[in-house]
Amino acid sequence: MRRRTFLTSVGVGATSGLAGCLVNDGNGSGEADVTIGIVYSTGGLGDESFNDMANAGVEQAVSEFDIAYEDAEPEEVGDMNEMQRQFARQEDIDLVCCIGFDHQTDLEQNAAEFSDQQFMIVDSTVDADNVISYVFREHEGSFLVGQLAGMLTEIEYAHGGGESNPDESVVGFVGGRESSLIERFEAGYIAGAEHAVEGIDVQRAYAGSFNDSSTGQEIANGMYNDGADVVYHSAGNTGGGVFESAQSNGRFAIGVDDDQSISSESFSDVIVASMVKRVDNAVYESIQSVVEDSFEGGTTNDLGLEEEGVAAVIGQDFEGELPEDVTSSLEESRQQIIDGEIDVPTTTDDS
Amino acid sequence: MSGLRDRLAGTLDRLVDASPLERLLISVASLVFALVLGAVLIFVSGFVATCNSPVVFIPGVGYGCYNPIEVYSTMLQGAFGSPISLGQTLQETTLLLFTGLSVAVAFRAGLFNIGTQGQMVLGALATAVTVLWLGPFVPNNAIGTIVVIPAGIAAGAVVGGFWGMIPGVMKAYADAHEVITTIMLNFIATAIAFYLVNNHVGDPSSDSVLTETIPAVAQFPAAIDGSRFSFFALGAGLLVAIGITLLYTQTVIGYELRTSGIQETAAEYSGVNAERNIVTSMTLSGALGGVAGAMYVMMAQYRWQTGIPSLGFDGIAVSILAGNNPIGIIPTSLLFGTLKSGSLAINLSLGVPTELVEVIQGLIILFIAMPEFFRLIGKRSGFGSDTPATSGGEQA
Repeated sequence: MRRRTFLTSVGVGATSGLAGCLVNDGNGSGEADVTIGIVYSTGGLGDESFNDMANAGVEQAVSEFDIAYEDAEPEEVGDMNEMQRQFARQEDIDLVCCIGFDHQTDLEQNAAEFSDQQFMIVDSTVDADNVISYVFREHEGSFLVGQLAGMLTEIEYAHGGGESNPDESVVGFVGGRESSLIERFEAGYIAGAEHAVEGIDVQRAYAGSFNDSSTGQEIANGMYNDGADVVYHSAGNTGGGVFESAQSNGRFAIGVDDDQSISSESFSDVIVASMVKRVDNAVYESIQSVVEDSFEGGTTNDLGLEEEGVAAVIGQDFEGELPEDVTSSLEESRQQIIDGEIDVPTTTDDS
Repeated sequence: MSGLRDRLAGTLDRLVDASPLERLLISVASLVFALVLGAVLIFVSGFVATCNSPVVFIPGVGYGCYNPIEVYSTMLQGAFGSPISLGQTLQETTLLLFTGLSVAVAFRAGLFNIGTQGQMVLGALATAVTVLWLGPFVPNNAIGTIVVIPAGIAAGAVVGGFWGMIPGVMKAYADAHEVITTIMLNFIATAIAFYLVNNHVGDPSSDSVLTETIPAVAQFPAAIDGSRFSFFALGAGLLVAIGITLLYTQTVIGYELRTSGIQETAAEYSGVNAERNIVTSMTLSGALGGVAGAMYVMMAQYRWQTGIPSLGFDGIAVSILAGNNPIGIIPTSLLFGTLKSGSLAINLSLGVPTELVEVIQGLIILFIAMPEFFRLIGKRSGFGSDTPATSGGEQA
């Protein structure tokens, strides 16, 4: 019986399609003034962090300007080149957004070959007249969450799903794949923790992948067992394992890129803060510059705390629940970094 | 019951006895069926998805997001619609031809080489390092290209061949099953390549794990402006396919390679050194995987970078679909190449999720493979008019 209903409805669909109920060609391009092509990085959409932030930026632009966009999700880094080229070739595409540092080498070649096309890249710089680059000073935001972690492990604090152990001063950092980008997160975090507690034990480990939450969980379990009260991750999807571990150990974690207490809401009781990186703003701004005809190729936008490109955002369950002196000293450090009174390192000394 | 059994047996007989033309017709019919079923799937899933610009509205059901005809025409356009897309299709075809042949060579000798991916990854790295080193020493013109490209291919073949030889030796002298060892060696290959590029031979100025871009002399001259495809590479692949066919059908060595893998004891009995031949087969298979890597570096990517597409694993499907016949691999690699560049176009310009495109690809492959699969089974179990039961799955 159900099957029959289904078949009839498909039949109706076919006829109503013929009767001229076609809404439009579904493509969207060609009708809008500006069309954007966007190639994500390999984590893909649905990562609740980096790529979803980029997508949020383009969606925001769609809602505010008369634009259309086409997007592509590479499965492997090796797919990125052809995707860039396919977009670059199309004359109705006005801007190709390349999300992530893995795009850099391909973009250097393609920007030269397609000199009439406009490009933007996030997390890396390409020195060409038709490319805008957006890089972030992740170390500045990481400094603040490092300082927060350091202060929390010193005091006796319990809220949401976690509590600290004041006897030991240990915090943790879990990275994705080793690169100078992730090292900036690590270096800023260590400096921030040191700023809060001199001689603090900062445990660090890399999972080797941005897409391996079980390894993330194992690493974080080890850190919490060694007395860490707070673990910060900069590891994309791998970070999901860190949150799992925080929840099962009754400790705290710090998210990255997005306010993860909202994007990974089931862990909001342990995500005390997130180091937010406004990839969405970068994407939005670059589209805005194309729409307003003010695209300035060859520029690099270096976004830090001052430009609000990065920020330490307190988790939604912890807002107003942290001790007053913790939040005030975070605010103080933020101002000192902006004023240049605190110089945040971009590399760890030991590498 | 027995009526059904007879009918099944009759169908199998019929399938095994099918002439090449009939088999072609069966394949085309399968393709059509797959496309029709795929169209229904695309259309129906469009009602579950949400989108800004629906294609069709059905009262009582809702908005449909995807138009199957548009999906197929985009796929066709993306694969053959312009010289550039044709170039992209042929580039994929060329690479799959080599990985498919790599798998087929081992298969023909009764060995299941899952390790083509790893052999390709290491071969590609060897090629990149070799041509980067050689680049400054040769003149920047056609003469330089004639020196550098063969050197790059040779480097890929040697390293890929070595990586294929290891599971061959383990199989021949220690009885370690090649399926297990080749799978494991894939991980080791990727890890070794990652380590080398990350710490020793890579471009330290980049955040990504990659080598520097290879010099222009080492890049295959593009046959079509704006796409990275070379007729020389495709021609080489076709020659290798013919060469392997001749090797296995016309030469004593080819005969010995085959018997050693399929019937080791029988081969030994007739005075053939089966162990050595297993090693040779795996080395040859690995060398072809390495050449695929060389082609990838010098024709497609122009450098080595982590995250090489899974051409080696696709090669397994390409080869099996062709019944491991080297000549049959030519059309199957073209089919896979078409699907790959066509689905890229869908990924780019339509809101259809990549997963759905992969389902369509899978359907097409499944439908085309199934009749051949049953034919193979039928042949092995002795159906058909004049086939011996122990033909070992080999096909004309």
